[in-house]
Amino acid sequence: MKEYLIRRSLSMIPTLLGITIIVFAFIEWAPGDAASAILGSRVKEGLVEYSQVELDRLRKELGLDRPASVRYLEWLIGLGKGDLGTSLATRRPVSDLVSLRMGPTLELMITAFLMSSILGVALGAISALRRYSATDHVLTVAGMLGISTPTFYIGLLALFIFSIQLNIFPLGGRVSPGATDFVSRLHHLVLPAFILGLDLTAALMRFARSSLLEVLKSDYITTARSKGLPGAQVILVHAFRNALIPMIVILGLRLPILIGGSVVIETVFDWPGMGSFYIAGVRGRDYPIIMSVTLLSAFAVLAASILVDVLTAAADPRVRLEAKQEA
Amino acid sequence: MAGERETVVETLPEEPRQHNRFLRRLTRHRLGTGALLVFTLIVTSVVFAPLIATNDPNEISLKLRNAPPSSSHWLGTDHLGRDVFARLLYGGRASLSVGVAGISIAVSIGLFLGTVSGFMGGKVDAALLKLSEIVMSFPGFIIILTLVSLLGPSLLTVMAVLGFINWTGIYRIVRNQLLALREREFVLAARALGAGWFSMAFKHLLPNAMAPVIVGATLGIAAMILTEAGLSFLGVGVQVPTPSWGNMLASAQSLAALRKYWWTWVPPGLSITLAVLCINFIGDALRDALDPREQI
Repeated sequence: MKEYLIRRSLSMIPTLLGITIIVFAFIEWAPGDAASAILGSRVKEGLVEYSQVELDRLRKELGLDRPASVRYLEWLIGLGKGDLGTSLATRRPVSDLVSLRMGPTLELMITAFLMSSILGVALGAISALRRYSATDHVLTVAGMLGISTPTFYIGLLALFIFSIQLNIFPLGGRVSPGATDFVSRLHHLVLPAFILGLDLTAALMRFARSSLLEVLKSDYITTARSKGLPGAQVILVHAFRNALIPMIVILGLRLPILIGGSVVIETVFDWPGMGSFYIAGVRGRDYPIIMSVTLLSAFAVLAASILVDVLTAAADPRVRLEAKQEA
Repeated sequence: MAGERETVVETLPEEPRQHNRFLRRLTRHRLGTGALLVFTLIVTSVVFAPLIATNDPNEISLKLRNAPPSSSHWLGTDHLGRDVFARLLYGGRASLSVGVAGISIAVSIGLFLGTVSGFMGGKVDAALLKLSEIVMSFPGFIIILTLVSLLGPSLLTVMAVLGFINWTGIYRIVRNQLLALREREFVLAARALGAGWFSMAFKHLLPNAMAPVIVGATLGIAAMILTEAGLSFLGVGVQVPTPSWGNMLASAQSLAALRKYWWTWVPPGLSITLAVLCINFIGDALRDALDPREQI
């Protein structure tokens, strides 16, 4: 187990390195850099046009006049020491900026993840156990609508209905001014987290339904039932455990959707997280920010896939981690 | 005890469902045909937008800002006095063409690399597989947003980036199918007859791998339309004044529009849902139709 984890973790390194190289190459190749972005935004603010001399001076100041390979290696060596670099636009350490913004985003994502796991599995189980009932049909249609609608649009509709018309939820933001108690924070958190998790909920519901139905058809369930075991025990102990495995896989593999979705949902709900910070970073061609955030999110995706394998092995004794050597 | 026996009995008989299942299969396909019909209608009205919309989608009228729906402006006007109905039709052009162009690029890359990988095997296959793994471990939306924004957001960059990021699914399908097909008798026979690898791949192997590719591509269009909407909503997709369903939704970022001018942002969202729903239903129907083993 330990050996497996170490090997898998090490195998992430070339992939992550590949990603940093591709992203850096793109930043270099794309038109414009941080210096032109900074001066460009000053022009927008009504200040006069900037000259080539000014641009060159700022480039030198930001170290952008040095070759790309030097700057990439410098960033990489810094990363090895646990340093994410310094933002070019604000001249502050990226790790400070990220840790300021990471909290709210994690809060939103973890809540969304928990809500959709519980809801998705529960609704899928109801659907499977009451197959072809009115509830099942309603849930199936809702799931189909859910995966066919942009989540941020559902978010806008929810704001319109629940915050503007009914006035039962706040109009976005993480806290109300002057009210930072737990209940108030929860009040702000519930709606955006629910909406962010909708994609995952719908996907999980479909999978939970089909995987539970698949298991309920199998011989050992019939055996368990004919032994006279109580229905609840058959479903919870026998069926659910085996139906759980595909659900774990879905939860883990859909994590990227949650990361991407949070950028948009944060915009809709005015959530002070990584989303707006990252968009500003990309617009400003602030390469230390772009590199750090893409690296962190790719790491999260890869780590989730390792976690999926470990959890699958834990839920299914037939799966042996050691056997999953590189093909 | 009696109650438990009842639950056993409840699950055993399969016969009455036979009829039920047939009905479901039928309605499923009817759903598919219905979806195709509605989708054709959407495409037609979008293509013939100039004939249907009586107003210019980009004509600004400051006297008529945020006007509610009326007989001259069926869906009212937006914050610059532009006709929402006209922008909806023209916006559909951008949104739908992003899906179609993006998936064409993705399928071309996926088919090509998948064929090379599945046919050559060995080191080439291993290298391409690793590349696909790297691309797959990109958190999709984040990397698409980054690339589009860096390259300069426009309709064209959105299409290109979506295509270049989303080929891995098709690649995997083609590769795995080809690897499985390689050992089949008809391939051995073709080889024995002296068929070259190129003609063999394209004439004999690919057609056999097409069914899942078609389904994957259809569902891929839906996913791309949704991604474009998200990008344009954030302002890093299709740029105004060119309308797209996504950037029309961006108007709802203003609290006033969200609160008072529902006609500026509700219709584009509904259009996305309707189009994507149709494509998803068509994709499901295709899957059922192309795979007779598929249980419904």
